[in-house]
Amino acid sequence: MRAAAAAALVALAVAARPAHAEDAPAIVGMDFTERAGAITVDASVSRLFDRDAFANLDSGFRTTVVIRLWVYRVDDAQPIAFTVLRRSCIYQLWDEVYDLRLEGEGRRRDVRVKTRGEALKVLTSLDDVRVAAAAALPPGALHVLAVVAELNPVSAETLAEVHRWLSQGTGGGLDRGGSFFGSFVSVFVNLKVPEADRVLRLRSQRFFRP
Amino acid sequence: MAFGRTHRARRGLAAAIALACGTSAAAAAPTPVPVSPGPAVRPPVPAPLGANPALALPGGDEFGAPLIIDGVEIVGNESTSAGVIERTLEFVPGQRMRADDRRLRLARYRLLALGFFREVALTMRRGAARGHVVIVVTVVERGTVVLNRLWFGTSTTSVGWIGADVSERNFLGTGVGVGGGAVYAARGGIDDSRAQAAAELRIGVAEVAGTRWSWTAAATAVRGSEPYRIDGALDDDAAAHFDAFAYRRLGVRAVAGYDVSAWTRIHVGARLEDLDATLPAAPTRTLPSGEVLPLDLHLRDGRSQVATVSVGLDRDTRRDPVLPHDGTRVQLLAEGGARAIAGDYHFATVAARLDRWWPVRDGTHAVGLRLAGAATFGDAPRFDRVHLSEVNRMITPRAMGLTVASSAAPDFLGTRGEDEATGEVGGSVVVEYVARLFRGGRHVFAGDLFVGAGAWALANRDSPAALGDGLPFDLVLDAGLRLDTELGIFELTLANALGRVAW
Repeated sequence: MRAAAAAALVALAVAARPAHAEDAPAIVGMDFTERAGAITVDASVSRLFDRDAFANLDSGFRTTVVIRLWVYRVDDAQPIAFTVLRRSCIYQLWDEVYDLRLEGEGRRRDVRVKTRGEALKVLTSLDDVRVAAAAALPPGALHVLAVVAELNPVSAETLAEVHRWLSQGTGGGLDRGGSFFGSFVSVFVNLKVPEADRVLRLRSQRFFRP
Repeated sequence: MAFGRTHRARRGLAAAIALACGTSAAAAAPTPVPVSPGPAVRPPVPAPLGANPALALPGGDEFGAPLIIDGVEIVGNESTSAGVIERTLEFVPGQRMRADDRRLRLARYRLLALGFFREVALTMRRGAARGHVVIVVTVVERGTVVLNRLWFGTSTTSVGWIGADVSERNFLGTGVGVGGGAVYAARGGIDDSRAQAAAELRIGVAEVAGTRWSWTAAATAVRGSEPYRIDGALDDDAAAHFDAFAYRRLGVRAVAGYDVSAWTRIHVGARLEDLDATLPAAPTRTLPSGEVLPLDLHLRDGRSQVATVSVGLDRDTRRDPVLPHDGTRVQLLAEGGARAIAGDYHFATVAARLDRWWPVRDGTHAVGLRLAGAATFGDAPRFDRVHLSEVNRMITPRAMGLTVASSAAPDFLGTRGEDEATGEVGGSVVVEYVARLFRGGRHVFAGDLFVGAGAWALANRDSPAALGDGLPFDLVLDAGLRLDTELGIFELTLANALGRVAW
């Protein structure tokens, strides 16, 4: 029995993918510019949208994209700078236009566009986005920019409520043991409500200030 | 100054942007990045937004046009009644709200949280007049039969036992959860023992009429045979060293819960139980030294009743309650039985549990601290006392109340002076190290490897080696694999295996 259990463990370990496989960021080329004492980036996270997500821009419900950007030195795990952007889009059914709200870098502005393609571009383009103060990047030192973009992220509170709803209805019985001590978890089927509809992780090429 | 990829077109664009911003073209010329200097360091993968509310931007003003909901169309619900879906939504026809309203945004998650649907999509279409809309809810149903537990194994107490517990979370499409289970344990070699069986039926509603209240009720029947040691050394589990008595339990329990917040729930409950035990006239245990001790089996002979009320609190901040890598879970429970509420046993039980997880190595690994303890006071019936398997994972747990094995706990430290299966005070402290094995499978969603070690204790206040002389304690060890699958959660662990075979 022990041999069988060991064999099963080994088989599972071999069959399983490495822990980092699904978390590894894709490396993409980005353009960095220094101006007015700040480092800015030009890039796109349009790959966050697949066909269904793109079509869903017409749903009439709000679509939200949250983009977070970290600047690291390549030899240090602590970020030098952090920026977060939130962009929302709602299709107005009666006016047939897309209303967008762009928040981040200390300001907010509303934009109205006429086509879904334009809405996608506004949601996912990083045009001249300030990612760090230039003084924070010593000249010659190698840096990278990590980008995480989430489509319709779910708040921690909402996730907690979902888990709570899922965990109900499995109790009962005469003894506390089964539910209090015995089981590792009180949820027996994980219904996998995701923390976001889609997540895109990118990393820039290494860059430095000359 | 610009610096980036050696890409001619983008360089030109960067220069153009720089010029447009009033920067000189010369200053905007990009500088090629060196090809390969520096160590290859992978930046940490940031946690998703939900993991860290502090990173979220503050909420803004209202966004989106005002709407009037003309109606709600539901598509794809073959077995789930439309009423169940409509009750879950926080809007009704005729209601006015903005397109960005939180109730609209949360509707999808509230429906997914029912556990009845694999996919939920919400869209709008134009209604009867300008500004009016119809909400279209498209669902893809999923199987709602859940395998809660499996019991099987063999021991000297039972040649073999087998059982299962299942739930239907959406009974006849009504949204009501119905569940139940049954266990059968064949007779083993212990004198006066008999085959055992237990069955249970449950019903519950996870959300009563859109409120924060929930309730469950359960009815349980047990035809048992409880073993107890009469002689022999602690490490000798031969059936000849045990005797058994027959009993029968019939009981009901009802619990009402209230969600104080997304993370915290309180609950109150009541239990009524009718016991019928056939106890030996004067049970004794003969120690290896020859000394004979009287045994208290902690039950009334013949019929007796247990009536209790309980109150509890559950706070759970773990992001993933199945394979946690962060967060805390706290559980508190107090239950009291009194003759004044129709019972024959005057007692109280308090229990507490704390699980705390700290992520390490970018959250792919975790360290967990798991504390659990309970104490009974007064004349607690045998089945309400702390059972050995509750504090030591290496011991076969009771199956729906049935004792299916009577193995003593491993005596690693030689500190265990007694061999009672139950005690008045017990607890455990376990430290676990968890390593993420994989995530993202289609049917097997996730897997973690873990190894854990800790200490446990179980004692009676009046026993010679109990509190006055130091609480007897020993070690507990476990390691294995936890899998989160479409069918349920499986633990392939050392302790789990030990609990299913005679050893």
